[in-house]
Amino acid sequence: MTNPTPQPASPPRALRWAVAGSVVVMIAAGGLFYYASQLAAAKRQTHSNEIAVSIHAHACEPNALTVPAGPASFRIINRSDRAVEWEILDGVLVVEERENIAPGLSQVINANLQPGDYAITCGLLSNPRGTLHVTPTAESEAQAKAKPSMVAFIGPLSEFRVYLSSQGSALIKAVTALQQAIDAGDLTQAQALYATARVAYQGLAPAAQRMAELDNAINARADYFEKREQDPAFSGFHRIEYSLFQQRSLDGLAPVAQRLLSDVTTLKQQLLAQSLPPEQLVGIVVRNLNSLADVRALSGEEERYSHLDLNGFAANLAAAHKVVELMRPLLEKSAADLLPKVDNALGAFDSQLDSLKVDGQYRRYDSVTDGQRKQIADKAKALAAVLDGIDPALGLSGLQ
Amino acid sequence: MKKSTLALSLLLPLSPLAAFAATAPLDLVGPVSDYKIYVTEEIGELVTQTQAFTDAINKGDLATAKKLYAPTRVHYESIEPIAELFSDLDASIDSRVDDHEKGVTAEDFTGFHRIEYALFSQNSTQGLETLTAKLNTDVNDLKTRVDGLTFPPEKVVGGAAALLEEVAATKISGEEDRYSHTDLYDFQGNIDGAKKIVDLFRGQIEKQDKAFLAKVDKNFATVDKVLAKYKTKDGGFETYDKVKDSDRKALVGPVNTLAEDLSMLRGKLGLN
Repeated sequence: MTNPTPQPASPPRALRWAVAGSVVVMIAAGGLFYYASQLAAAKRQTHSNEIAVSIHAHACEPNALTVPAGPASFRIINRSDRAVEWEILDGVLVVEERENIAPGLSQVINANLQPGDYAITCGLLSNPRGTLHVTPTAESEAQAKAKPSMVAFIGPLSEFRVYLSSQGSALIKAVTALQQAIDAGDLTQAQALYATARVAYQGLAPAAQRMAELDNAINARADYFEKREQDPAFSGFHRIEYSLFQQRSLDGLAPVAQRLLSDVTTLKQQLLAQSLPPEQLVGIVVRNLNSLADVRALSGEEERYSHLDLNGFAANLAAAHKVVELMRPLLEKSAADLLPKVDNALGAFDSQLDSLKVDGQYRRYDSVTDGQRKQIADKAKALAAVLDGIDPALGLSGLQ
Repeated sequence: MKKSTLALSLLLPLSPLAAFAATAPLDLVGPVSDYKIYVTEEIGELVTQTQAFTDAINKGDLATAKKLYAPTRVHYESIEPIAELFSDLDASIDSRVDDHEKGVTAEDFTGFHRIEYALFSQNSTQGLETLTAKLNTDVNDLKTRVDGLTFPPEKVVGGAAALLEEVAATKISGEEDRYSHTDLYDFQGNIDGAKKIVDLFRGQIEKQDKAFLAKVDKNFATVDKVLAKYKTKDGGFETYDKVKDSDRKALVGPVNTLAEDLSMLRGKLGLN
């Protein structure tokens, strides 16, 4: 990391100490002030505006609550003769709860509530549920319209990392099986397992393509090598595809499969080690769809020996669906007008690919006409274009 | 862009906030996702072991069923901060007799503790088919829901304190597994689950407050040491009635301190 602070020509030593000292004092004073104000805020929050709720043997009192959005404190007093719980529920999901409130005692629950209607679990499970109505405030309305904060992206990005982990494991498993079939000399089985492994890879492709060199070792086409298929450096999935589907032979494939297994294992590790900035989450999907639209759909070059292109496109599209699902709560909040357009574009691409299925299987790509290929490219392009609107709508691009 | 970064970094040392360099939200992505991976693995175990546990019951093998009861439950106890987010399933899987007005005869008293009552109090595996089928359905349903849940970061970080509060409220008293007295398994499950959260966020906590982390580690170690005294050769635990009064008392202090300290974790990581 570079230090952007300009380094002035060495001032007198005493002056430097004085400046340093005053900075320390300022920081300390600021820190104390901050601490004191936080302490005061914390006290205010717990001692004023508490809403008292009594749990009786068969119901809560009051059993219907209405509060404004924002922080709220509930003091729950257990007037029944058992240790019970009090929970705020959004559907079946617990928003806040306090368990094991002893008979005769009370406990405080602090909640930061969004506008809406909630249910209350009140003591015994057979007791009637209470209701909690949270009304919007000027502040909550403003918050609803504001761009999401960085904290709001922790959830989607974490979930995407979990997706990379499980897809990465699926890829390793599929390539292991492929390698075993090659070692066992079973061509038919290896051809079937190549298809499975490719689908696993294409589900990860948007993220994998960030790892330029490693991804080349895994996914480079023959065109990238001077002597094409005959080039000794030609390796990875497509080298295996060439042997399995073009030459229909397993000769010399064992070391290629071994290396591929080692590379996809490294790929999973690297995908989990790399942090993905929020603006890249949609960005990598857009890039992947653009490569589909601009190159792969029209030429069918990606799976030129096996003609399994449609399976790969469908896996790319599934990754796009995944990312949209992860971003959906943020979009609903901050870019609601964009969502129907995103869903329409996803749906249009879904139907296009579905129309190319026969008996539940995707057709070989060499049986897909130029007109149909153009349709696929158009749907991918349209989806990429509408997804490209997400980052600006969430305030993720053009940041100062 | 460059210019404004420069201006910002020049101003920053003068801001009072600089003394409390906050955890960058995106630094929490790794630990939160690793926690989901951990929870997913634990639920996988819960599903598999619940099947084996209920198979034993359905075969009428009381001894095996009793033996599998506690080790199966542990996988629920360790992930309770997430599991109990689903209130309906938490009630049908893990509610205790006190939660039901009609006690053991309540129709909606189902799940582990209802089965525990039959196995350990009535010494019987008879007539439990509906309950075992429901428990399997419920843990599978839990798995599906957790897979689809984007983990709220504040619930993950807050989970460490929630687990310790659970220990303080129901484990030390021995009320959780009142028929089987296998409370120490759950106790260890709660402690391990909380420690997992601390371990996953260790790097971020350390940056904020080293002394805090040292204190938390020390209290975890004290609790673990007491629990270790009651480990049996087969990797399990003695029943809770064997735990000496002096050891129960020795657990209270560190458990309460941990619950209190860990409740500050959300604030320390900027998630309040």
